Amino acid sequence: MLNEFRLGARLLKRDWTAGELKVLLLALSIAVTSMTSISLFIQRIDKVMLDQSGEFLGANLILQSPDKISTETITQAHQLNLKTSDSVSFSSVIVANNAFQLSHIKAVDKHYPLLSQIKISSDLYGNETVRNSGPAMGDVWLVPRLFSLLNIKLGDTVELGERQLKATAVLKHDPGQAFSFMSIAPKLLMNINDVESTGIVQPGSRLTYMLGITGDASNRKTFEQWLTPKLNTSQQLMGGTEGSEAVNSAMEKGKQYLSLASMLSVMLSGIAIAIAANRYGERHYNQAALMRCMGAQQKNIIRIFSSQLFILGVIASGIGCLFGYLSQQIIATLLNDFFHTPLPAADFSPLFSGFISGLITLFGFSLPSLLRLQSIPPLKVLRDELAPLSLSLWFIYGLAITSIVSVMWWQSGALKLTLMVLLGSIVCSAALFIISALLVFTSRLVISSLSGPWKIGLQQIIRHRKQNQLQMLALGLSLMILMLIFLIRNDLMIRWQNQLPEKAPNHFIINIQNDEVTPVKTFLQANDIKTEGVYPMVRGRIIKINGVNILDRTTEQSKLDQSLKRELNLSWNNSIQQNNQVISGTWWNKNSFDKPYISIEKGLAKRLKIDIGDSLTFKIAEQEISASILNIRSVQWDSFQPNFYVIFPDGIINQFPATYISSFYLSRENKQLLNTLIKNFPSITVLEIDDIMNQVKAIMQQVSSTIGYVMLFVLLAGIIVLAAVMQSSMEQRIQSAVIMRTLGAKKSFLQRSHLTEFALLGYLSGLLAVIGTETISYFLYTQIFDLNFELHFMLWFYGPLFASTLIILISHFYMRNITKSSPIKALRYA
Amino acid sequence: MQTTSDAVIIVKNLVKQVPAVNNLNNEQIDILTGVNLEIKHAESLAIIGTSGSGKSTLLGLLAGLDQATSGEILIDQQNICLMTEDERANIRSEKVGFIFQSFQLLPSLTALENAMLPLELQSNKSALMEAKQLLQRVGLADRQHHYPKQLSGGEQQRVAIARAFVTQPTLLFADEPTGNLDKLTGQNVIDLLFEMNRERKTTLIIVTHDEVLAKHCDRCLSLQNGTLTNCELIDAE
Repeated sequence: MLNEFRLGARLLKRDWTAGELKVLLLALSIAVTSMTSISLFIQRIDKVMLDQSGEFLGANLILQSPDKISTETITQAHQLNLKTSDSVSFSSVIVANNAFQLSHIKAVDKHYPLLSQIKISSDLYGNETVRNSGPAMGDVWLVPRLFSLLNIKLGDTVELGERQLKATAVLKHDPGQAFSFMSIAPKLLMNINDVESTGIVQPGSRLTYMLGITGDASNRKTFEQWLTPKLNTSQQLMGGTEGSEAVNSAMEKGKQYLSLASMLSVMLSGIAIAIAANRYGERHYNQAALMRCMGAQQKNIIRIFSSQLFILGVIASGIGCLFGYLSQQIIATLLNDFFHTPLPAADFSPLFSGFISGLITLFGFSLPSLLRLQSIPPLKVLRDELAPLSLSLWFIYGLAITSIVSVMWWQSGALKLTLMVLLGSIVCSAALFIISALLVFTSRLVISSLSGPWKIGLQQIIRHRKQNQLQMLALGLSLMILMLIFLIRNDLMIRWQNQLPEKAPNHFIINIQNDEVTPVKTFLQANDIKTEGVYPMVRGRIIKINGVNILDRTTEQSKLDQSLKRELNLSWNNSIQQNNQVISGTWWNKNSFDKPYISIEKGLAKRLKIDIGDSLTFKIAEQEISASILNIRSVQWDSFQPNFYVIFPDGIINQFPATYISSFYLSRENKQLLNTLIKNFPSITVLEIDDIMNQVKAIMQQVSSTIGYVMLFVLLAGIIVLAAVMQSSMEQRIQSAVIMRTLGAKKSFLQRSHLTEFALLGYLSGLLAVIGTETISYFLYTQIFDLNFELHFMLWFYGPLFASTLIILISHFYMRNITKSSPIKALRYA
Repeated sequence: MQTTSDAVIIVKNLVKQVPAVNNLNNEQIDILTGVNLEIKHAESLAIIGTSGSGKSTLLGLLAGLDQATSGEILIDQQNICLMTEDERANIRSEKVGFIFQSFQLLPSLTALENAMLPLELQSNKSALMEAKQLLQRVGLADRQHHYPKQLSGGEQQRVAIARAFVTQPTLLFADEPTGNLDKLTGQNVIDLLFEMNRERKTTLIIVTHDEVLAKHCDRCLSLQNGTLTNCELIDAE
């Protein structure tokens, strides 16, 4: 074994000196570089996004409870080296200057906030300063609108219950505010030690206690596992990713874009490796035969060559890891401006997985070549025509597909995406065989009517049909990946970002009463504020699924879904909202307006494992209402429009007390209008969500810039693949060109016949690529990114033309010496 | 036919059939129809015949590169027809050297590396030294770091001769060793080959249609219609 390894290493070194291995090494290094750099980068972005959403909550975990949180829980957290902070929130009336204002009060201890900072300022619209803890005892910080509603200024006192407290700062940003998304604002922040002295908190008061938790991730996990079974239905433990649906949704999509890009780069490199490995095998047939002749056994051959591949794989993967690490550092530096905080360092797991993936890809694609080398008959040294055993195509393709799919899946962690890309590639290959059969058929028909270079060009295609098929497939798949990246960057990403326009709603108004709907609309119109609509909202809880009490139903499930623990916002509507899309079933029409149907959000349907036709029973204001699911909707949570998990047709839940909700965009300088709005409609609540929105925008920005850099990699890999594909067939072409030149073919004749051949080859590969691209993007648009799919006509037109031009250029690069110089020189090149 | 004790190769009733190209009815073409042969130690034997007469097939069988349809081939009293491919590989490794018409040097290896390869396969530690000595012997000491592409045909064949002798084989098979060389270069290669053969007392079996080359051998046989006959060489001089 050891000797064979040594010999393999020596032979490899000699092959390297002779310049045999550059393409294989380059292809593999680039594959590993792109895999590691992208997954290192995704990991860092993942961490920063999680941290950012943690900052959003003000902690990594928040335990919310209507009762005081037990000391046992807090002790357990401290034993696990976790930091905690206590806060309590409630609604109460603040009095100042004889003005009364119902406010949301949040009382915090000295550890609050565990993550992020509180932003305050010394005048209403002045510069912000950051604080790492809340107000001191006796002080309160109020949001700007409370100052105008109560007609007070900084330094004035406000009354809260029996206490007089001093307003010492304007509260601009409280990290926990995403969490209290639907709670009642405006907000007042106070010290938790002042709460008792206000005398407001009495037995039976409605309070929400919150315990913020931060610390080491694994300890957090242990704590979560310890706590979860102890929670009762009124308690809720929220993690960093549960901060906001909009942020979650943007993060999920962002990660999918990155995974997709990484997967495509892996696939492209796979094609390059397959071609290079095949070539490596072919070029070593003679060597293997000769070694057999010299007495090497089959097992020696396979050991020698697999040692070579192993060493090559280790070197190339090592180089790839190194460059992967360096290049993600460069990307991170370039993208530093987009992140508020420096990116957290990646750990080394992507390097390890990139390294192993490199070896898997190399062996997956090279094993057929290795097995063929092993089976070379020694007699080949005497009879050159002897070919090694041909292996079953099922085996070759099966092995290659298995290895690439497992690496793509492993690297991206997204099975659905992987399968879609695989399916697209299969469609592309199927189209290839149809096109190539058609091509040969029509060529035979027209060839007799052609003459000169066109005829020779077409004949070349027919004669090298098998070889051309493989080449077209490799070209087609590589071009497909380039086109996909192009579509992702220039269509998908832009459409995604356009979903959140410049003036996406940054304010929600809730608690609009029935009789206020028209006046509020009029007010908004008068002030030139656009809104998508005002929607009714009824609070209700799901209590039965198909007649079975949810508590019975879910006993076998360890965790009761969050949506079943709390009241949901239900709405009614006759038409579907703009950013919603029916993905299954049908929307109701006039005939079914009074029928007890519901439309349900797809995520909720999936979590509750319910489908069209299932019935849900809601408890609304102590009454039970049952309705069956007529359709399932996808909801664009990051659109910042009011959205609902469950929608009824008009006339089913109208009798229940409803409030109305709307959202609109208001620029920073027009925020004063909010004061007028609140003065006119004192009962409504305005929620400012600029922070959430900025975060979603930041995520989109981060992802799209990242994709931009990732594209560079894929492009680089793409060019190398195309070059490798062309190179693999060039020798033969050059040889026949040289023979034709010596037989008297003119330069122009050869050029035209090559032009015919490569233009056609490029055009057809481009066509295949477009077919594959459209197949994959159909699934991407409809299944992953919830966008409408339309055929890209420009792609059908320009794609094949672009491919044709590209192939002509590359082939020209390889063939330039053949047609330029004299035949005798050309012979030497051959 | 009597077997003598100093015979290194004894061939009895060797038959080789190959399937016809359009093998519809399991048709077989006879290449060798019953070859009998005895080759003595240190003898040089030429097997001549026209193209397609089956010379190379016979060589492949004698060297254990191919399997016979029936018959026996004894090398040092061992019947290689009964051996597995791996056992035959061992025989090749221990006893056999090859020289080919198309040289069969590996393009990615230098002259020296090509000459070392057989010893390296045997994990012989003195591969470098012995290959150097042999390259010196064939007159290529100053070209050992050249790649085959940088060498002339005659030089390439001399590298191949060095490679063939480097394992000190008892049997040396040569398949048209001068086939790709001009007359003068061919002559030089033949002289070298026979000199070294005498020095090392190797049994040399040459397949050729070059009668000049055949005449250098102790014995000459002609392959016709699948069997061997003694050949009558017309003196070219």
